[in-house]
Amino acid sequence: MDNVSYQRFPTVRIRDIKDDVLKFELRDTDASIANALRRIMIAEVPTLAIDLVEIESNSSVLNDEFLAHRLGLIPIVSDRAMEMRLSRDCDACDGDGRCEYCSIEFHLSVKCTGDQTLDVTSLDLVSSDPSIIPVDAAGRAADMGGFESNDTRGILIVKLRKGQELKLRAIARKGIGKDHAKWSPAATVTFQYEPEIHINEALMETLTLEEKQEWIDSSPTKVFELDPVSQQVVVVDPEAYTYDEEVLKKAEAMGKPGLVEIYSKEDSFIFTVESTGAIKASQMFLNAIEILKSKLDAVRLSFDTEEADDQFGELGAHMRGGGI
Amino acid sequence: MGVSKADEVDDGDNIVSSHKEGLEAPVKTAVDKFQLLPSFLKVRGLVKQHIDSFNYFINCEIKKIIHAQGNEKVTSDVDANFYLKYLDIFVGEPCVEQDYIYEPITPQQCRLRDMTYSAPISVDVEYTRGKEVVVRKGKDGKQEGSINIGRMPIMLRSSRCILAGKNEAQLAKVGECPLDPGGYFVVKGTEKVILIQEQLSKNRIIITTDSSGSVAASVTSSTHERKSKTNMVVKHERIYLRHNTFGDDIPIVVVMRAMGMESDQEIVQMVGRDPKYAGILNPSLQECAALKIYTSHQALEYLGSKVRSRNMFTKQKRTKVDEARDILATVVLAHVPVHQFDFRAKCIYLAVIIRKMLEAMLNREAVDDMDYVGNKRLELAGQLLSLLFEDLFKRMNAELKKSMDATLSKANRSTQFDIIKLIRPDTLTNGLEHAISSGNWAVKRFKMDRKGVTQVVSRLSFIAALGHMTRISSQFEKTRKVSGPRALQPSQWGMLCPCDTPEGEACGLVKNLSLMTHVTTDEEEAPLIELCTTLGVEDLSLLSGEELHSPKTYLVFFNGTILGVHRRPNRFAEVLRKLRRAGKIGEFVSVHVNPKHRNIQIASDGGRVCRPLVIADKGVSRVKEHHMKELKDGFRTFDDFLREGLVEYLDVNEENNSLIALYEGDATPDTTHIEIEPFTILGVCAGLIPYPHHNQSPRNTYQCAMGKQAMGNIAYNQLQRMDTLLYLLVYPQRPLLSTKSIELVGYDKLGAGQNATVAVMSYSGYDIEDAIVMNKSSLDRGFGRCIVIKKSVVPMKKYANRTADRIMAPELQSSAKGGVQVVARQQLQDHDGIAAVGEMIRPGDIYVNKQSPIDTRNNVNNPMALPDSAYKRTPQTYKGAAGETAVVDKVLLTSNDENHFVVKCLIRQTRRPEVGDKFSSRHGQKGVCGTIVQQEDFPFSERGICPDLIMNPHGFPSRMTVGKMIELLGGKAGLHNGKFHYGSAFGEPSGHADKVSTISATLVKHGFSYSGKDFIYSGITGSPLQAYIFMGPIYYQKLKHMVLDKMHARARGPRVVLTRQPTEGRSREGGLRLGEMERDCLIAYGASMMILERLMISSDQFQIQVCTKCGMIGYYHHKLKICLCSTCKSGDNIATMKLPYACKLLFQELQSMNIVPRLTLAEA
Repeated sequence: MDNVSYQRFPTVRIRDIKDDVLKFELRDTDASIANALRRIMIAEVPTLAIDLVEIESNSSVLNDEFLAHRLGLIPIVSDRAMEMRLSRDCDACDGDGRCEYCSIEFHLSVKCTGDQTLDVTSLDLVSSDPSIIPVDAAGRAADMGGFESNDTRGILIVKLRKGQELKLRAIARKGIGKDHAKWSPAATVTFQYEPEIHINEALMETLTLEEKQEWIDSSPTKVFELDPVSQQVVVVDPEAYTYDEEVLKKAEAMGKPGLVEIYSKEDSFIFTVESTGAIKASQMFLNAIEILKSKLDAVRLSFDTEEADDQFGELGAHMRGGGI
Repeated sequence: MGVSKADEVDDGDNIVSSHKEGLEAPVKTAVDKFQLLPSFLKVRGLVKQHIDSFNYFINCEIKKIIHAQGNEKVTSDVDANFYLKYLDIFVGEPCVEQDYIYEPITPQQCRLRDMTYSAPISVDVEYTRGKEVVVRKGKDGKQEGSINIGRMPIMLRSSRCILAGKNEAQLAKVGECPLDPGGYFVVKGTEKVILIQEQLSKNRIIITTDSSGSVAASVTSSTHERKSKTNMVVKHERIYLRHNTFGDDIPIVVVMRAMGMESDQEIVQMVGRDPKYAGILNPSLQECAALKIYTSHQALEYLGSKVRSRNMFTKQKRTKVDEARDILATVVLAHVPVHQFDFRAKCIYLAVIIRKMLEAMLNREAVDDMDYVGNKRLELAGQLLSLLFEDLFKRMNAELKKSMDATLSKANRSTQFDIIKLIRPDTLTNGLEHAISSGNWAVKRFKMDRKGVTQVVSRLSFIAALGHMTRISSQFEKTRKVSGPRALQPSQWGMLCPCDTPEGEACGLVKNLSLMTHVTTDEEEAPLIELCTTLGVEDLSLLSGEELHSPKTYLVFFNGTILGVHRRPNRFAEVLRKLRRAGKIGEFVSVHVNPKHRNIQIASDGGRVCRPLVIADKGVSRVKEHHMKELKDGFRTFDDFLREGLVEYLDVNEENNSLIALYEGDATPDTTHIEIEPFTILGVCAGLIPYPHHNQSPRNTYQCAMGKQAMGNIAYNQLQRMDTLLYLLVYPQRPLLSTKSIELVGYDKLGAGQNATVAVMSYSGYDIEDAIVMNKSSLDRGFGRCIVIKKSVVPMKKYANRTADRIMAPELQSSAKGGVQVVARQQLQDHDGIAAVGEMIRPGDIYVNKQSPIDTRNNVNNPMALPDSAYKRTPQTYKGAAGETAVVDKVLLTSNDENHFVVKCLIRQTRRPEVGDKFSSRHGQKGVCGTIVQQEDFPFSERGICPDLIMNPHGFPSRMTVGKMIELLGGKAGLHNGKFHYGSAFGEPSGHADKVSTISATLVKHGFSYSGKDFIYSGITGSPLQAYIFMGPIYYQKLKHMVLDKMHARARGPRVVLTRQPTEGRSREGGLRLGEMERDCLIAYGASMMILERLMISSDQFQIQVCTKCGMIGYYHHKLKICLCSTCKSGDNIATMKLPYACKLLFQELQSMNIVPRLTLAEA
C-alpha cells in the first residue's frame, strides 16, 4: 500500500460564466471532493449580512424582530468579505459598527408622507462604506439592459402608509452560512454525475419509426431525438437525463432489453452554482477552493504528531501527497 | 401539427355555437353550477343561521312575547283600575351612554374596552295615571319606543349591528375584519358564541322501544305557556298514559273516556277498525271495563284520584273532577288546542298515537329512529334568547307589580303615582348579559337549567373561529354509553359534516353544520293552515272516527298537530310545492308525504335543517346554461334562483320524497332534484383538506381537530385586537393545493401554514414515530417562525372610601458614577411608570409601577391627596420563562363603561421552530420536529432542490393518507405550471379536483417523473441515493403545542407550606412525581433505599423527638438544649427520629380530633 499514489489531477472546464451563474465540469476526481466543494460553497464561504439592528422608531405594520429578520436576509455585496475579520475574532473593537475590519454600518430612515403606500426597499439602506451596499440584482440587470422599469428595483422590506415611519441603524458583519443561512452566498449549488449513454444501434434498428418515437417520448426529459434525415435515434442532450430509468423500463416493456445502456461516470461532475449576488458565482467557487485548502492545511499542520497519523491512518498518508 | 391547432380553434367556436343553440339544453357538467355556491354564501353567509335566528327574534319574536297573554298587561291587586299595557317593543342600535349622551359604538371598541355590545330595548306603553289613561309612544317612523326597559346584547352582523351591510372599506374603518363571519356576541369584552343546541323535535309523536323491548310513544309538547312530556307505554299488553301530573300510569281507554269517548265502538273506530288493531286494543278496553268506568264522569273521577297532589294553595275549592279535566285540557298533550273543553281533537290525536303504537307492535320497523336528523331540531341563539328574554320580562313585570302594589297600597301619597319611574332596566340588562357571559341558561318556567350554552369564540386561528360558529352540541349526556346518538346517520348527508367531530368523550355528540346547511326559523302558521283547507284538507271536526283511517285518505299533520285528511295526498303535496317554488308560501315550508304511515307532514317550525338543491323535471335540471351565465354576469343572485323556482330548500323529511341525483348525468326520469355540489356535504373545517375522499376517514376527523390549532393569521384586524393569547405565523402562505371550500371561506386570504418541500425518506434516525427532520437554513429563512402575544391586564381599582390605585413614575437611585439612574427591573418603563413599547422585558421586570392605598375601608378626608406613606407598592411583574426574549408589543390605557380604568399590555415573543415543536400536514399526520440538520447535509437534487423537511415513509402504510400523496403530486405540478391545483372533495368528475393522470402528465411535461419521485444525492457523501425519493410541496401547519411552553425540569425548588412537599405543576415550578406505579417498580426491584430517598429524604423529611415511654411527640428545648416530652414532663426517654413531615402533620391532626397516635419505637 505504501507506494500507491492516490494523487489525481482534477480538471475544470467552464461552460457558462455570468455574474450570478456558473456552470462547469469537474473531472478526474471523486464525489468527496465535489461534495466538499458544494458543502463549502453553501456553508463556509463568508459573506456580509446584517446581524445587529437598533431600531429607533418603527411605526410600520411589521414588528421589530420581523424587520430585523428581513433585513438580515438581504444579500450584501461582500467582495471584501474574505479579507475581513469575524467580529468575534476582532480584537480592535466590540463589533459596534465603527470598526472597519469587521463591521459596516447601515442607516435607514424613511417616512411616508404621501397618500400612496411607500415601499421601503434595500435601496433605502445607506451604507457607511460606498463599496458595501445591498445587492441590487434588478438594478444590475437594468444597467445591462435587462429590466426597464425602475419600480422593481431593490428588495422590499416593508410598506408604509401615510404617517408611518421607520428609522434604524443596522450593522453588517462577516459570517458563514453554517451559522445562519443569511450568510450563505449560494442560492443553488448542485452537481450531477455525467451520464454515459450507449445506444445499441443494431437493436434500435429493429424498431419501427413509430416505436422509436414512442421510445423517445417515454423519457420525461429531452435526451434522445429522432434524426429527421437518417431516421436514427441520436443522443442530443445526455445531461438532460435525470437517471429516471424510464427509457430502460420502456425498452424492457417493448421487449428489447439492452436497447440502451446508461452509466454514470463516477469521476465527472457537472456543477451548477448560482449566487445570491453577494459575491460572483465564480469568486464563490474560488473562495471555496481557498477555504478547502486552508482546511486541509489545518489538518496537515497537525500531521507531524504520531497521534494524527493514528487518527487519520491511510488518510494521513493520502494528505501528504500519496505516501512517503 | 398545425392541424391540431386549427382544431382547437374550431372547438372554441363549437362551444360558442353550442351556447347559442342550446339555451334550453341542460347544464352538462357540474362545473357550471358551482357559481351557485359563492352566490349562496354571499346572500346567506357562513353563519347565516345564527344571524337569521337572531334577526327573527329581534324583529318578530320579541313582539310576540310582549303581546302574549300574561305578558301584555301588568295589573294591580290593590287598584283594580290600574293597568300598564305594552303596545310595542323595539330593539335599537348599539350605543353607549357617555356623560348622559348616547353614542353609537363599534364591536371593536367593546372588545378593547371590556364592554358589552348591546342596544337599548324600548317599549311603547299605555297606562293609567290617576284617573287618566296615558299613551306613551316613541317618535313615529323611528324604531324607538318611549321607555327604556333594558339592554339587549347584539349579535355581530345581525340586522341591528352597525356592521350590517357595510363594505370592506367601511368595515376597515370601524376596525373590523371583512372575513369575520359575525354571529357571536361581545359581552364584557369577550366574544361569546351561543352554540347550536340539538334536541328532539317538539310536538311530534315519536315511537320508541323501552329497555324491555316493548313499544312506547312520547310527545314533548311545547307551547309558549307550557312545556310537558306525555308518554304512552305498553304494560301487560295494555296501553297506559304516563304523565308527570298523574302519580300512576292511567289506562288509555280511561283517558279516552274522560275526554268524552264513552262508547268503545267509537274508540275502536278512531284507532282503526281493522281486526289486527282491534285485537291488540282489546285488553286495554277490557281493563277499563274491569275498572267499571263507563262514563266520562267516572273516568274523570278516576283520574282525579290519581292526580299527584301538588301543594297548590290557589283555588282549593276546585273538585278533583274539575282538576282532572283541566289537566287533560291544558297539560296533557298541551300543544293540541282544546276550546271550551271540546276534547275531540285531542281524542283523535290520542287515537293516532295509539294506532301508531299498535302498528309498531305489529311491525317493529315502524318504530321511529330517535337519531334520525328529521326528528331533530336545532335551537339557535334567537330561540334560546327568546326563552331567556321572556323569562326575564316576566320577572321584570312581577317585580314591577310588586313595587307598584307596595306603592299603591300606601294610603296617602305625596305625588301622583307614575309607574314609569318604577321600571328598572337592570333586570333585563343584567339577566341577558350574565346568561351569555356565564353560559348558564336558567329558565324557571320551563325548569330549564343548562350549563355551557355559550363559549368564548376560539381565536386560535381563523378556521377555529369559523368552525366554532357552525358547532352543534347535543343534549345527550356525555357519560352515557350508547352508540346510537354518536353514530354517523345517513340522514346527515349534506346537512351535518361527516368528518368534523371531536375525538373522545364528545365524539359524535358535538357536530358541525355542512357548508350549505340552513336552519329554519318559525313561520306564521295561520295562513298556511287556511291554505291547506283551501287545497282540500277536510277538517277534523267534520270527520267521524271511521273516516279518519279510511284506506282512501291520508292524514294531514301541520307542525305536529292533525289538520284533517286529504283524499289526494300526492296532488296536494305537489300543489303546495308549486306554491312554495312560486314564492307564494315561505321557502322553508316542507311537505312530506309518508305512504307508510299514510300521512302528510307539513312543517313550518323553526330549527329544521335544510339545504338548497336544484329542481329537476323528469330528470332534467331546471338550471340552464343561460341562468348560470346571467349569474356570472351579475344579473342574477341566488335569491332569483329561489324565486323563479329553479332551486329550493329541502329539509330532511322532504328529502325522503325526492330522488336526488349527484350529477346531471346520473339523473333518470324519476329524478326530482340534483345536487349543487357534492363537496358541500363537508363542513368548514373538513373543506380545507385536499383530496379528503382519498383518505382514510378518521384522518379527516383528526385534521378537523388539528386545523383549529394551526397557527396563521386570525383576522385582518389581528394586530388591533387585544386577545389574551395570540399565535401568529410570520410568513403564512396560501396552500399550493387548494380546494373550492378554501376559497369560499377565505382560508386563502387568512391561511395557517406554509408550503414545505417534503422529501419522503428515512434520514438520521431522528425521524422515527412520526418525527420530522427539518432543514436549518429553511428555519433561518423564516419557515415555521411564529409570534406569540400574551396579554396581561392591570385593573386600576377604586375602593369604597373613594381612594384608588395609582401608577408612579419609575423609581430613581443614585448610580455608582454619581448620577441618578432608574432602579433595576424598572428600566423598561417610560416616564409614566408603564412599560415602553418596543422594550425588551425579562422575568421579574416591573411593567406597571402600581401602588395601592393601604387603607381601603375607612373614610379618608381627601382621597385625591393622600400622602405617599398611605400607599403600598403593588407592582406588576412579568413572569415568563427565563432566557427568552420578550418584547412589550402594545400598551392600551382605557376605561370601560363603568369608568373603571385598566392598563392592558401585550407582550410578544418571536419563536423559531425547535426540536419538539409540533407540525402537521392537512391529513391528520402530526409529528414533532425530531432534529434540525444543516442544509449542506440535506439531500439535494440535480436541479438544486433541497427539501425543507424530511418525513419518514412509515407514516403512510398504516395511515393510508393517499390524499397527502396526491397533494404532493398536485403541488409539485402546480409549482412548475405556475397555477394552483385543486383537490376539492369528490371533485374529479366535476373538475374541482385534478386527476392524478393529468397531474402526472404535467409533471412529465416539465421533465419530472410521473410518479413524483426524484433522483436525489446525499448531502453528506455526495453520492446518489439508492432509491428515488418522493419529493414535493405539502402544506404544513405549525400547531400551537410548542416545547417552550411545556418543558419543565426541577432539581430543587419551592415547597407547599402545609405539607412541606414539593409543589405540583409546571406553573409552580413543581417536582416530578414518583407515582404509585413507579413506587411499585422500586418495591418489586427491592431498591428500598431508593424509595426512602425519593419519598422522604428528597421530599419532606422532618426530624422529631419521640418519647419512647408514652409514644407521643416531644420537642427540643433550644435554650436548655434538651429534648422534652410534654406529656411525661421529662426528657429521659426521648429518641430522635426522621419521618415525612406529612406524617407528623397527620399525627397532629389526629390529636386535634381526640385520637392519640402513639409511636412504638424499636432498636434499629
